[in-house]
Amino acid sequence: MSTPDTTAQEAPHGRTTGAGRLLITVYGIFAISATARAGYQIATHFADAPLAYLLSAFAAVVYIVATISLAKPGRGWAKLAVVAICIELVGVLVIGALSVFDSAAFPHDTVWSTFGRGYGFVPLLLPIIGLIWLYRHREVK
Amino acid sequence: MTLDAWFIIGTIVGLASTVICVVAAVLKKKPNDVTLLGLAAVELFIVVYAIGSLVRVLGGQNMVGEAWEFWGYMFTAAMLPVAGFYWAMMERTHWSNYVMGAVGVTVVVMLARMAQIWYGTTMAAQALQPLYLHLMQQGIG
Repeated sequence: MSTPDTTAQEAPHGRTTGAGRLLITVYGIFAISATARAGYQIATHFADAPLAYLLSAFAAVVYIVATISLAKPGRGWAKLAVVAICIELVGVLVIGALSVFDSAAFPHDTVWSTFGRGYGFVPLLLPIIGLIWLYRHREVK
Repeated sequence: MTLDAWFIIGTIVGLASTVICVVAAVLKKKPNDVTLLGLAAVELFIVVYAIGSLVRVLGGQNMVGEAWEFWGYMFTAAMLPVAGFYWAMMERTHWSNYVMGAVGVTVVVMLARMAQIWYGTTMAAQALQPLYLHLMQQGIG
């Protein structure tokens, strides 16, 4: 892809440009690490905690869908991004709460355990930032 | 986790790259020679680290953890600066520097995990613990 030779000095303001590209980058990093983590857990010791590792795999799929839908222009992709990021937010809140209040049931870590503490709470902040971003760049009409 | 020269040098290179890119981004600069060289230094380090690790393995040193996991991390870490470069260059704004800045710090996190795989963690249970906690415990991050 070549660099577009724009005369504008400011960063573009679309959903998939400017700061949006940083958001997509962070989502992409989480998509890669969640996928690798889930793949490793399932490949090496799936029998230890099938539920936790299936949850890891589910989280990985959510991050992948969020990354792709954030990066694609168009209203359909924007809607899919909203759905994926809402699922992500519910996931991190529910799994986070369960892992705190009922830690016996969730002894094995997922990305969302303890609200993503293992990842510097970025998994908790990311969906909030993502939804704010999507709301501010919603297509009216 | 043992702190060896590889990890220390890699951490310095990775964090320096991130700091340079973030400072340039805050100053609203587009990617320039300085930030691109910072990113290139990260890639160069990973290539040297890969060669060094290969020499160590061929020389008879065995890593404690799984070799395929170690090399999986190595491959992914080597791809990150390349992917970050392309993603940053597709739309060249000051946001590109934030994107490039995300690479260095991510590579440092991966290097910490690779050092764990190489030297082994002190407790088997720690292998399941998120990396960030390790960093906090060891007082590195």
